[in-house]
Amino acid sequence: MSSWTITKWELKNTLHNRKFILIFFLQLVVLLMMVLFFSSFMEGIESEEGISLTPSLNQFASLDIYDPQNILINQLNPEILEINSNKIDIALNRLEGGDVTGVLILPSSDDFNLEEIKPVPVNLYIDYEDPKRSVIKDEVSTAQNKASSLISERWINDLTPQQEVSQPQIQEETQGEALPLQLINKVMTAVLLFLPLFLFGNLIVDSIVGEKERKTGEILIAMPLSRSNIILGKSMAVIITMALQVALWMVLMILAGYSIENPGLVYLIVVTTALPIVGLTSIIAAFSKNYKEAGIGITFAYVAIIGFLIVPALAYISQQGRYVSASTMTLAIKVFSGEPLSPGDIIVPFTSLLLISLISYYISIWLFKRDDIVFGPRPGILRLLFEFATLNKVVNYFKK
Amino acid sequence: MIKISSLTKYFGKIQALDNLNLEIKKGELLGLIGPNGAGKTTAIRIISCILQPDQGQVMVGGYDVQENPLEVKSMIGYLPEEPNLYERFRAYDLLKYFGELYGVPSGELESRIEELLELVGMKARAQHRINTFSKGLRQRIGIARALIHDPDIIIFDEPTMGLDPATSLVIRDFIESLKGDKTILMCTHYMDEADALCDRVTILNQGQILDMGSPQELKSKIHGDIILNVSLNDPSQVNLADFENMEMVEKFTLKEDKLMLSLQIRRDISRIIEFLGPNLKAVQTKEPTLEDVFIQNVANLNK
Repeated sequence: MSSWTITKWELKNTLHNRKFILIFFLQLVVLLMMVLFFSSFMEGIESEEGISLTPSLNQFASLDIYDPQNILINQLNPEILEINSNKIDIALNRLEGGDVTGVLILPSSDDFNLEEIKPVPVNLYIDYEDPKRSVIKDEVSTAQNKASSLISERWINDLTPQQEVSQPQIQEETQGEALPLQLINKVMTAVLLFLPLFLFGNLIVDSIVGEKERKTGEILIAMPLSRSNIILGKSMAVIITMALQVALWMVLMILAGYSIENPGLVYLIVVTTALPIVGLTSIIAAFSKNYKEAGIGITFAYVAIIGFLIVPALAYISQQGRYVSASTMTLAIKVFSGEPLSPGDIIVPFTSLLLISLISYYISIWLFKRDDIVFGPRPGILRLLFEFATLNKVVNYFKK
Repeated sequence: MIKISSLTKYFGKIQALDNLNLEIKKGELLGLIGPNGAGKTTAIRIISCILQPDQGQVMVGGYDVQENPLEVKSMIGYLPEEPNLYERFRAYDLLKYFGELYGVPSGELESRIEELLELVGMKARAQHRINTFSKGLRQRIGIARALIHDPDIIIFDEPTMGLDPATSLVIRDFIESLKGDKTILMCTHYMDEADALCDRVTILNQGQILDMGSPQELKSKIHGDIILNVSLNDPSQVNLADFENMEMVEKFTLKEDKLMLSLQIRRDISRIIEFLGPNLKAVQTKEPTLEDVFIQNVANLNK
C-alpha cells in the first residue's frame, strides 16, 4: 500500500510536469521521423534502385584519348569523364597546356593486332598536379578490366564451334528477405521497440538522486514506510511510464505499416525488460551522491545492457538457425516475426530477466538502507563490494 | 515516552554519540542544546528512525526503533532543520501526500489539512506552489506537514533557524501551544528559545550529556540568583579578601575597574552598594541566562 502511494504520487507529478510531457511527445515525434526515414530507406533497397549518398561526378575530369581500334573508348564512363578523341600530338599539347587531366594512348591497327594473344600496350599520361587524376586512374582501370573481359570472351567464342544452343532457363526463386534486409529490418524494429526503455532512465535518477540533492529524502525516510517501499514504489512509477510510452510507440509503428505479429506478447516482453533496466538504474541512483555521478554510471550501465540485448539478437539473425538466447530482444524478434518458439526460447530470457531484476532491486534496497550511503561518509565501491560479498551481512539483512 | 539507553553512533571514524542516556516524559518539552557537531541532530534522527544506532537502545512509546521502526515513525512528527519540501507541489497537495503516506484515513484527511492550514496561517496560500514561498512560509508548511497525522511525539530540529524575529515568534508561540498535549523534543541553538519554551534542557557536547535539568536549575548551578556588574572609581582600594569572607557572594572577578559579583539573594545588592561606598561608579544587574550555562559548560570545556 505504501509503495503504491509513492507510485501514485510519482506518476501524478511526472504526468503533471510540463517538461516531461513535452519530452514525452517529442520522443514520439522523433520515433515517427525515424519510422518514416527507415521505411523510405527500406523501399529504396527493395526497389533495387539503390541509394547513393556520394556526390555527383558528372564529367568530373577530362581525358583525351587516341584509340583507333576502339578498345577502351567504349568502356569509359562518359557520365564521369569528359572524353575527347584526339591525335597523339594534339592530346599531349592539351595536357601540357593544362586543358585536360589525362591522355590515354592505345596502339593503332598498324602497330598491334588484337587477335594475337599478347598484352595490349596502353599509355596513360596524367597531370600529377591535378587532384582529379585519381578519378582518371580509377576509370581507366575499370575500363581496362571490362575490355579485357570482352576480348577474352570474344576469343573463347571464336574457338567454340558455332551451333544453335538453347539458352538454359534460369528461374530464380527467393524465400523471405535477403540476410542484410533481415538484419536491417528486424534489428531496426526491435531497436525501435526497446528504445523507450533507455529514454526514461532520468526519471528514476531524478526520483532517487533528486531526493538526496534536494534533501527531501530525510522526511521521506521519516515516513512510516520501509526503504524497500520507497525504492519499489519509485521504480514502479517509472516502469508504468515506460509501459505507457512503449504502448504508444507500438501503436505508432503498427500504423506506419510495421508488421508486428503477436503485438500483445511483444509488448509484454518489452515491458518486462524494463524491470531489470529500472532495477540496475536504481542501483546507480541509490549509490550516487548527485546527478553527475549518476549520469556517468548510467552511461556505462546502458552500454552494457544494450550490448546484452543487441549482440545475441544480431548473432541469432546472422546464424539463421535454432538459437536460444538470454536476450529478450532475440525473443521479441522471434515473436514479432511469427517464428515458432521452443520452451527454451521463453524460459531462458525470462529466467535471466527475473534473476537480474531480483538481484538489482536487492542491491539497490541494500544500498538505500545504509546510513553511510544516504547520509555519508560514503564508503568506496571496493569496500561495498567486499561487504556485499560477505555472507554474514546477507544473513543479517534477512534477520532484520 | 522516549527512553535512550547507551546510544552510540559512528560516522566512519567519527563518533557522533557516545553512550548517550536520556529519558523524556510524556507531555514534556525537552530541549537539546549544544555546539555544532555535538550530536543533537544525530540523536533526533535515530529517534525518528532515519538513522540506525550502532550500539544501545532507543524505545519510543514502548517500541524499539530497530525492531518496530514503522510503529515508531507513525507516532512521530518530524521537522528537520531545513524545511526541504517538494518544490513543485502545491501546499495542499504536499499535505495530502504526506497524509496518505502516514495513513490518515481519506475521510479525515481533507478536514485535517484545512485545520492545519488554518492553524499555521496558510489557508490563503493552500493552492500556491512551495517554490513561491519564503523560508518562514516553508517552515509553517513544514510544521503542518509534521502534524498532519496528529502525532503524540513531535521532534523539531532548529525550528526557528534563519527566520526573522517576527516569524520566529509565531513559530515559538505555536510550539508553546502544543505543550502539554504532545511530547516535544527540540534542538536549538537559541538559548532564549530553550529558556522560554523548554521544561527541561539537555546540554550535549561531543556526543555526551554535559548537564540536564530545568532552565532554572541549570542557571542556578552556574551562578547565584543575580549577577552584579560594578564599575569602580579606584580598583586599588578593593580588597578581594573581603568578598571571600562574605557568605552572600558566591563568585567574584575583578578585571581592571570592572567587578563582577554573583549573589544568592537579590536583596543583598543594597549591602554590596553600601560596602563599596564612594568607590562605586556605576552598577548594573544581570539575570543569569541559559547562554551563561552553555558558555560555562561547553565553551570552557572546549578551551
